[in-house]
Amino acid sequence: MLSAVARGDADIIGLIQAYDARSQPLVIPALAIAGASLDARNDESDDLLAGVELLEATAGAPLSGAEQATRLAGIIARTGLDTWDAHAAAIADAAICPILTLDASKWRQPSADLDEPLHIIEIADPGDQDPDT
Amino acid sequence: MSDRKTRLTITVDAHLSSYAEQLVEAGHAGSVSAAFNEAMAEKAARDRHRRSLWKAMSDQADPGRVARMMAHVDRQLAS
Repeated sequence: MLSAVARGDADIIGLIQAYDARSQPLVIPALAIAGASLDARNDESDDLLAGVELLEATAGAPLSGAEQATRLAGIIARTGLDTWDAHAAAIADAAICPILTLDASKWRQPSADLDEPLHIIEIADPGDQDPDT
Repeated sequence: MSDRKTRLTITVDAHLSSYAEQLVEAGHAGSVSAAFNEAMAEKAARDRHRRSLWKAMSDQADPGRVARMMAHVDRQLAS
C-alpha cells in the first residue's frame, strides 16, 4: 500500500484519506516506508510518504531497541519476508492488527509460517475483476 | 515570520544547541531563538507542502472506486 502512495496512486491516497476522515487508526511501520521510498526514489514520493504520518489517525511505528530488532530478525528468518514487509508483519503480530495490502497472495505463505496467522486485508476494487459490470 | 513572539522553554540536543550558537557567532542567525524559530518555520512549510500534495492527489481520486475499495476492505474486516 505504501508503494502505491509513493507512486502517487490517487485512489489509494484517497482511500487512506477517507479512512482517516473516519478516524480509523492506521499504524505505519518505519521500515515499510523505507521500502516504499526505495521503490520510488524521488522527492515527491518521499513527501507523499512523509505526508502519511501527518494524517490525524495515523501513527508511525519505529524500530526501537534490541528486542524489537531481534524479533524482526526472527520473523525474517521464519518467513523469508524482506526487511520492509517483515517490519509490518512484526507490528501486526505484536499489536494484533490487520495488514492492508494490494497483494494478499504474497502474504499467504509468510502468514502460515508464523505461530499465529496474520490478518491480511486486500485492497482491491471488485469492479476491476468484472469489467462487464 | 511573525513579529509576535511567544516565550517558551525547550530542551534540545547538545550538538544542535552548539550549532545554533555557531550560527549566531558566524552572523547567520540573529540569536539562538531566531535559529530555532527558522528551523521550525522550515518544518512547518515542509509539512504544509506535504499536506497540500496529499490533498491534490486525493482530489484526483475516483470517488466511486474509493467507495468500492472501502466496502471491499470493510467486508473483510467484518468477517
